[in-house]
Amino acid sequence: MFDLAQPVLNGILLGGLYALIAIGMSMMFGIVKLVNLAHGDMMILSSYLALVFSTWLGINPFFVLALTMPVMFVVGYLFQGILINRVLGKAMEPPLLVAFGMSIILQNFLLMVFTPDARSIITDLATLSIVVTEYLSISVLYLVNFFAGLLVIVLLYFFFQKSYLGRAIRAASDDEVAARLMGINTRRTYGIAMGIAMMTAAVAGMLVGMTFTFYPHTGPQYLIVAFGVVVIGGLGSIKGTFVGGFILAIAQLLGAYYFGPGIQLLSGYVVLLIVLAIRPQGIFGSV
Amino acid sequence: MSLAVMGLLLVALATVPVWGSDYLVLFFMLFCFYLGLSQMWNLLAGYSGLISLGQQVFIGLGGYTMAVMTNYYGVNIWLSVFLGGVFSAAMALFMSLFIFRMKGVYFAIGTWIFAEATLIWFSNWEYVKYGMGLFVKPANPPSMTMIFYGAFITGVGAVVLVYILLRSRLGLGLMAMRDDEAVAETMGVEVFRSKLTCFVLAAFTTGLIAGVLYVFQVFIQPYKAFAIDWTVVLVFITIIGGIGTIEGPIVGTMIYVLLSQLLAEYMSVSLFILGAIAIIVILVAPNGIMGTLSEKLGFEILSPRRQ
Repeated sequence: MFDLAQPVLNGILLGGLYALIAIGMSMMFGIVKLVNLAHGDMMILSSYLALVFSTWLGINPFFVLALTMPVMFVVGYLFQGILINRVLGKAMEPPLLVAFGMSIILQNFLLMVFTPDARSIITDLATLSIVVTEYLSISVLYLVNFFAGLLVIVLLYFFFQKSYLGRAIRAASDDEVAARLMGINTRRTYGIAMGIAMMTAAVAGMLVGMTFTFYPHTGPQYLIVAFGVVVIGGLGSIKGTFVGGFILAIAQLLGAYYFGPGIQLLSGYVVLLIVLAIRPQGIFGSV
Repeated sequence: MSLAVMGLLLVALATVPVWGSDYLVLFFMLFCFYLGLSQMWNLLAGYSGLISLGQQVFIGLGGYTMAVMTNYYGVNIWLSVFLGGVFSAAMALFMSLFIFRMKGVYFAIGTWIFAEATLIWFSNWEYVKYGMGLFVKPANPPSMTMIFYGAFITGVGAVVLVYILLRSRLGLGLMAMRDDEAVAETMGVEVFRSKLTCFVLAAFTTGLIAGVLYVFQVFIQPYKAFAIDWTVVLVFITIIGGIGTIEGPIVGTMIYVLLSQLLAEYMSVSLFILGAIAIIVILVAPNGIMGTLSEKLGFEILSPRRQ
């Protein structure tokens, strides 16, 4: 029984990181009904940016966020403004396929620039852990990931509830025509929303880059994580995003615990497919 | 007139091993493979409203079934290829239990997750030698010409299948569904069954083509066979050529095979370029090359419409 505590604890902490990975995609799903298939690749792009800046400037990866977040905001704003906004509203397929194309372009761009070698962002935190009992220890990096996820998601929540811009984004999403009549430039608003989503991806990318190794083709793996979190938790629910992250991560780590590390991803997918088949709207979502 | 041109092209394609060099045989064999595979994706995405990002399930399964039947049970190689199609169709039926409850975007990603799960399954499965893969060792290895005709029959067969399907009662229902699913259902089109039929047929044909493809490639490995890369190419071919037209994938495949041969040493560059072209096509001419041409000039070569 005691030895189960470790994978469950790690699952909860990893779930916080998964929620952070997912929140940007969930946000855009809620606002413009776009499943950004390039979300994982955008996140890996920011992992590479963080790697380049931190080795180039020789500073702590956490300070690098001051650079990668604005860069990713601009990338997101342009991606939405130049590509996605033009195909919105016709049918569901064109935005999906544009994002899919963007995903492949990004992967191959990263492959050309950075070669297929595995990379990781070096940090002192990786080796630290807090030993609780003989059976239980907490990785400091996982703890940082968890609280970073919590912080970003809480900040986003207050942004959408309290600030003018956050309310404008929600208004544009609820009723585009009415929002325009109220003087909101809805297309620009969507661009800003995507910019913000990409800023969350910048934070997630830096943490993922410190915690795991990454390659140019790692993006889709995290896209599926993000999608899994959104699907299990239900759309547009902050609580759901967290619970989705926990369920997915715990399912993965228990799968790895019982059947070996090769099964880690598989057990996550199986749980995801079962939830999709039984409750396509997610556990916390409404139809 | 246009039918005569099509007929001539078909005869030319069928006789490539007679008049062409080894390189041309290889080139047109690749053309046939991608033609059939992309036509199947087109049948799903362009006519049945099913955006599948999991076609690699059937590619991997078709290839693995062929390899396992040939190597482990000494089954005739072409019979093994056929069994690959049968297993793929059975897999499609099994998948439908889960993913046919999902719609639109959920369906797209559901199929993809299914494919990823299959990949991990195969790379952890002792029976198929884990991720190390299998070399196909038939008792009598078929000649290059034989493999070419295998590709020709399945690839061109896939186009003919779509053509016949669309001119049938099922095809009428599909096109009604594409225009307005709710109205079509009210008028008596069996939406669920039509979609399922297309999904299973596409899986069968995809598995069949993949079997021939892996007879040619000789070596199969889960990370390549179940990779999303397959579907990426099929999506790009269909979008660039023209989604929801039979001619579209033919033109798109020609562009893809030419580009991939020109940039054979720079796979990532050619995917980068294809991705960029596909995005531009969606933004500028959403009906693709053939869709836009037939709109502007008013001609169709293989029209599923009754005159």
